[in-house]
Amino acid sequence: MALSKKSKTAFTDPLMSNNPISLQVLGICSALAVTTKLDTAVVMSFAVIAVLSVSNTVISILRKMIPAKVRIIVQLSVIASMVILTDMVLKAFFYDISKQLSVFVALIITNCIIMGRAEAFAMQNGPGRSLLDGLGNGLGYGLILIGVAFFRELLGFGTIYNRQVIPESFYQAGYENMGLMVLSPGAFIILGLIVWAQRIIGKVEEE
Amino acid sequence: MHSNRYTLIFAMAITIVLAFFLSLADSSLKDKYEKNVEVDIRKNILLSLGFSPTDDLPWTNENVESIFQNSIVEFVVDNSGSIVANKFPQDIDPNVDLNLYPIYKRVSNSITEGYSIPISGKGLWGTMFGYFSIEPDGATAKGITFYQHIETPGLGGEVDKPWFQNNFVGKRFVDENGTLIGIQTVKGQVDETSKEAYHLVDGISGATMTSKGLNQYLLKDLKLYDPYFSKIRTKRNG
Repeated sequence: MALSKKSKTAFTDPLMSNNPISLQVLGICSALAVTTKLDTAVVMSFAVIAVLSVSNTVISILRKMIPAKVRIIVQLSVIASMVILTDMVLKAFFYDISKQLSVFVALIITNCIIMGRAEAFAMQNGPGRSLLDGLGNGLGYGLILIGVAFFRELLGFGTIYNRQVIPESFYQAGYENMGLMVLSPGAFIILGLIVWAQRIIGKVEEE
Repeated sequence: MHSNRYTLIFAMAITIVLAFFLSLADSSLKDKYEKNVEVDIRKNILLSLGFSPTDDLPWTNENVESIFQNSIVEFVVDNSGSIVANKFPQDIDPNVDLNLYPIYKRVSNSITEGYSIPISGKGLWGTMFGYFSIEPDGATAKGITFYQHIETPGLGGEVDKPWFQNNFVGKRFVDENGTLIGIQTVKGQVDETSKEAYHLVDGISGATMTSKGLNQYLLKDLKLYDPYFSKIRTKRNG
C-alpha cells in the first residue's frame, strides 16, 4: 500500500525539517537530563516513541467521541496511562536503566511534544496517519537525544555506549575528559550547536 | 456539542477502561519487578563489600544470587552485640524485632573480609536506603552504597555516584580512644593534612541537607551496631 503524500510528510517532517526539539524547541527538559550517556538516551527515546505513537493512535481513534469540554484531560489520562505502563515495563525488564532514568520516565507525561501532537494532530487526523506522526515525532526526538548524548558521552567520559574509545595514550599525553559535558550546561551547548547547524543547513527563516 | 450527561459517562468509561488496563499490567509485571528490587539490594550489599561486575561475570539475576550464596554469611546481632543463634536477616520482623540487626559478612576461604550493615535515614526529600561496609578491624569503612533515595538528581542524587562513595573507603569511624564518632561529610574538600581528616569526607556542593542527614543517620546506625563491632575491636587489639 502506497502512502499518501500527507501521511508520508506526517512521518518525515518531524525527523528533520520540523523536528520537535531542534525546531519547535519542545521537550528540552528531558533532552538535557538523560543525555549524559547513550544508554539512558536510547532507552528514553524508545520510551517516548512508544508512548507517543500509542497515545496518538488511541486519541485519534477516540477523537470523534471525546467531548470537547474535557478533551485535554482525556488526552492526559491516555498519555499518563501509557507512561505508567512504560515505567512498569522498564522496571520489570530494564531495572538498572530505569533506576538511572529515575523520575524522567514519569515526567514524559509533561513532555510538551506528546500533549502537543495529541492536541494538534491526533484530534484532527485518522489513526493511521496519527500513528505515523507519533512515530516520526518520537524518532525526531530520539535522533536529537542520541546526537546530544553521543557528544556528551564521548567528550565527558571518553566512551561510546560505555566502551572506552579515547585511547589510554591520549590521557597520558595530557588529554582530559571535559567535566562540563557531564553537567547540564554541556547539553545546552551541544543542543545549541545542533539547532544552529540545522538552521543553517535547512535554511530556516525566523518569522 | 456533547451533553453534560454524555461527557460524564464518557469520562467515567475512559477512567474505568484505563484503570483496568493498568491494574492488569501491574499484576502481571509485579513479580518480576519485586524480584529485581530484591536482587538490586543484594547487588548493593556486594558492591559495598568491594565486589564488582566483570565482563566474564556480569551481574545477571542468577549470578548475583550465586555470588551472594558463595561469599556472604548472613547473621543477626542483638543490642548487646551478641549473635542471635538460628536467626537470619529475612526472619527479622521490623515491627516486632526492634533490637535485632542484620549483618552480611564477606567470607573467602573462611577468612572474614568485611561486614555490611543496612543504613537508612532522612535526606532532603525522603528516606534514603543503603549499605555501609566495615573492614574486618571493626573500625574502618570499606564502602558505602545507596539503592533507594529521592534526592535531587545532580545534587543530593550524587550520593549514588562512585566519586562520592569512594571517598568513604579507608576512613575510620572511631577515634584513637576507641570511641565511636562516625564519618562526617564536610563542606567542600577535606584538608588532608588535618588531624581530623581520618573521619571526614568531601561533601556534595548544593546538597547540604542530604549530607547533614547522612552524617546523622550513619552515626545513629553505627551506634546500633557498636556493641558488636567494639567487641571485634577489643578482640583484635588484645
